[in-house]
Amino acid sequence: MAIFKVNGQSVQPEKNQKLLRFLRDELHLTSVKDGCSEGACGACTVIIDGKTCKACVPDTDSLDGREIITVEGLTEWEQQVYTYAYGKAGAVQCGFCIPGMVMCTKALLDENMEPTDDEIRYALRNNYCRCTGYVKIMDAVRLAAKILKAGEIPDDGDPNWTLGNRVARIDVEEKVLGYGKYPDDFYLDGMLYGVALRSKYARARVLSIDTSRAKALPGVEAVVTAEDIPGENKIGHLKHDQYTLIPVGSLVHYLGDAIALVAAKDRETAEKAIKLIKVEYEALPHVHTIEEAAAPDAPKVFDEEENNICAHKHISRGNAEEAIRNSKYVISHHFETPWTEHAFLEPECAVAFYDEDGDVFIYSTDQSAHQTLHECSLLLGTDKVKVQNALVGGGFGGKEDMTVQHLAALLTYVTKKPVKVKFTRAESLLVHPKRHPFYMDMTMGCDEDGNIMGVKASVTSDTGAFASLGGPVLERACTHAAGPYHYENFEIEGTAYYTNNPPAGAFRGFGVTQTCFATETLLNMMADKVGITPWEIRYRNAIRPGEVLPNGQIVDDSTGLVETLEAVKEDYDAAMAAGKPVGIGCAMKNAGVGVGIPDTGRVKLIVEDDEKLHIYSGASCIGQGLGTVLVQMIVTNTDIRQEDIVYERSNTWISPDSGTTSGSRQTLVTGEACRRACEKLMEDRRAGKELKDMKGIVYYGEYLAKTDPLGANVPNPVSHVAYGYATQMCVVDPKTGKLDQIVAAHDVGKAVNPLSCEGQIEGGVVMSMGYALREQYPIDENCKPIQKYGSLRLFRSHEVPKIKAIVVDKPGLKVACGAIGIGEITSIPTAPAIADAYFRYDGIRRYSLPLVSTPYERKG
Amino acid sequence: MAVKKKFPYKAAIVSCNGGCRAVKGEAGCSEGCIGCGACVDACKFGAISLNEYGVAEVDESKCIACQKCTKVCPQEIIHIHECANYIVVKCSNKSKGAAAKKQCEASCIGCGICEKTCTAGAVKVTDNCAVIDEDACLSCGMCSVKCPRHVIHDLRGIFTPAR
Repeated sequence: MAIFKVNGQSVQPEKNQKLLRFLRDELHLTSVKDGCSEGACGACTVIIDGKTCKACVPDTDSLDGREIITVEGLTEWEQQVYTYAYGKAGAVQCGFCIPGMVMCTKALLDENMEPTDDEIRYALRNNYCRCTGYVKIMDAVRLAAKILKAGEIPDDGDPNWTLGNRVARIDVEEKVLGYGKYPDDFYLDGMLYGVALRSKYARARVLSIDTSRAKALPGVEAVVTAEDIPGENKIGHLKHDQYTLIPVGSLVHYLGDAIALVAAKDRETAEKAIKLIKVEYEALPHVHTIEEAAAPDAPKVFDEEENNICAHKHISRGNAEEAIRNSKYVISHHFETPWTEHAFLEPECAVAFYDEDGDVFIYSTDQSAHQTLHECSLLLGTDKVKVQNALVGGGFGGKEDMTVQHLAALLTYVTKKPVKVKFTRAESLLVHPKRHPFYMDMTMGCDEDGNIMGVKASVTSDTGAFASLGGPVLERACTHAAGPYHYENFEIEGTAYYTNNPPAGAFRGFGVTQTCFATETLLNMMADKVGITPWEIRYRNAIRPGEVLPNGQIVDDSTGLVETLEAVKEDYDAAMAAGKPVGIGCAMKNAGVGVGIPDTGRVKLIVEDDEKLHIYSGASCIGQGLGTVLVQMIVTNTDIRQEDIVYERSNTWISPDSGTTSGSRQTLVTGEACRRACEKLMEDRRAGKELKDMKGIVYYGEYLAKTDPLGANVPNPVSHVAYGYATQMCVVDPKTGKLDQIVAAHDVGKAVNPLSCEGQIEGGVVMSMGYALREQYPIDENCKPIQKYGSLRLFRSHEVPKIKAIVVDKPGLKVACGAIGIGEITSIPTAPAIADAYFRYDGIRRYSLPLVSTPYERKG
Repeated sequence: MAVKKKFPYKAAIVSCNGGCRAVKGEAGCSEGCIGCGACVDACKFGAISLNEYGVAEVDESKCIACQKCTKVCPQEIIHIHECANYIVVKCSNKSKGAAAKKQCEASCIGCGICEKTCTAGAVKVTDNCAVIDEDACLSCGMCSVKCPRHVIHDLRGIFTPAR
């Protein structure tokens, strides 16, 4: 057996295993994150003899005599430097990649105190980050180098924590040093490991399940099938059509449907037991495409449904048909966008156990603890359930549905013991809902000056094996297909089809990423027809305060589309004057759920025994920085200092339900609830109360973002309480054909933290560069996704072009101190801007994503 | 760095392990390094030498990727690669599995374990020999660890011994 050193201590593993497993499971060095265990993500990067190395790769037996360093082994000075540099630079979002990035930083700076920008890009390039777009991580490396050289950390004085200031996030230290806990970092006494048996076929009927051999395997504590579910088998976000376990006699809907669960003393035993379960299937023909799903004699994905239509929307205002008929210029085209995988760095994981109240307690990584509570209660047939958010390693919409939480809860319910269920990366790629692929046919009519007269469209989407949020995504795709422009005649029809592919659901942009590509591309084509620039046609059509959107809503004073266009003008003109290929796109995105659906933010502020003000809100921070937003909101609206405020992660028994982290809504909706709680608190403060006098008092704030339903019989319905607006432009290097620069200007109302806003913009832009240029999630004819994490072709640090993030403040929104969420819109106008830049580069119009014939195109 | 170089650094790599030293002659490998020393003579920087197995080996700290060696190699097995891609295939044997095994004790037999293991889809077995696409490679070394023939090397000496 090998003997080697870990953080200076000599160790000798008892059995040969992957270094990652030894560091995490035996030494509990949980800064070393398990993001894929297949060498792709880099979250487990450690330093071996001065070189970075992914800990999931080497076997411990091969490490005799080596010296290994993890983040836990940094000197105190290094810990301070990296915490300061990463915080100051705004490099930390979800944090899951950060310890690995810190290791890369250390390995580089230990050898080279004055790295060039290229050397920094290369030092990070084998590690993925899905949140930041790498820009601010590279800033952090530069800053760390400077501090290490100077030998002291700059004194920034007392930072101003009010709204509008670039403060370091509150969760930087725990994420940089790796002591903050994601669910996988919990190791409870006597904890079992749960694994699911997934279907062998995409569509089949389960005829029988024999678990006897699995049950007999030593170390197995439980084998669970549908019969063992105490409550409802079928759960789901809105529609309850997601089977937890497929019962005998029922249809399997996709390869990710679970048939049985095993809980065993360790993961290996559980996986062995899974293979011993015998399932008899009647394999049936499956539905793989929208065309197959829509065919009159199509096999049905659900026994319970009449056909394969999940949702249908028809939206019409004015008379689009007639307006187009009377237009001078008319362009029609067909567009297609692909499946996209969220690829958050942290795979799904949940840990459940019985707490001292006899409740099933779940540590979860999700976008709403209350949603998890609701669905798990339904499944278990009891409300004796508690959910506590751990840190969430990225979501982007992909952690809105139940994936592991309910399985861990069920296994704990059956075994009465703590159970961890953690997806392998392959399971994660298969199971959680993806971004919908869309087929779109769109027609636009304009007058001789380029004023849009009308738009008519028909779109279809593949929502896969269960509804998830397929209906709302389709609806948002349809409502926002009109674009942020002031015209009246708009008609769209949309249909979402069930297939036996993996499910599709929420994904940053929520349908708008897809239809925006079609609308904005048509507008770029129209500009050429009219003979004006794509910038000019947008400036002429742009919605301005007081005008009416195609959905009938009169927009308020915070509407800043024009300002975002003006913000990119200088760069746009400069690129045009230099003869560079430049493309542009605009977008709008709602903040808040809207369209008449109850959308409530709730916050409790409680002074606890430590005489600090604790923030309790059932709103998940998934890496976007909600905790910091709420702290800044309180500092701005009260006289309480930042050091006296504690942000508590969302839970379900103290924190009131503040809705899902979705629809760019938390900054506005929960932010306003927080502001209202501050008003109540200030009444006591003005009466002279000190924090010590306020112990135990609950200051409760609630805000209902009231909107009108679609089709409401009012002249100007308020579909959403607020919209963010954006203009992004892309410059292609005429020599290399690669991206040279992206300029992204975003109207956010009031920027709570401009540093965080920039981070969101850079991350959103890089994510959508992938969507535009090369990411794919191919599904083969057996409805099986074929890519691994490392071959999704997410952008890497050395491939990212210059990104100029411009934050535009535009007051006017009367709630949440004017702050409008920015989470999704950062990803929306990128693809059409890039597509147009490539058209200017080579004269080829591209109507589907990812774009073909660019240097980024996937080979082979 | 002994020589001033431009980032990203590039260097020559000899795609041969020198494993057939045991079975030279007719039974040996016809694609590997023959130890002729043409590259050693061609290199102005003293970056190439013949190692203890009689096979050419590049010292990356001295190499400037001038390509002189790649041009003179009669076997055409010296290539230029980016030094940041330290996981490399050190074999050029194109024989099928059993034959390749006979010819050399450290030959690629085209078993495809590397291809199956690779998360990035960066390794392809082409003409019975593994080839890494450096643009796609994430340098994790999983292929190197899994290779049953120790054909895929880690030039940093972490996953495979430094030579």
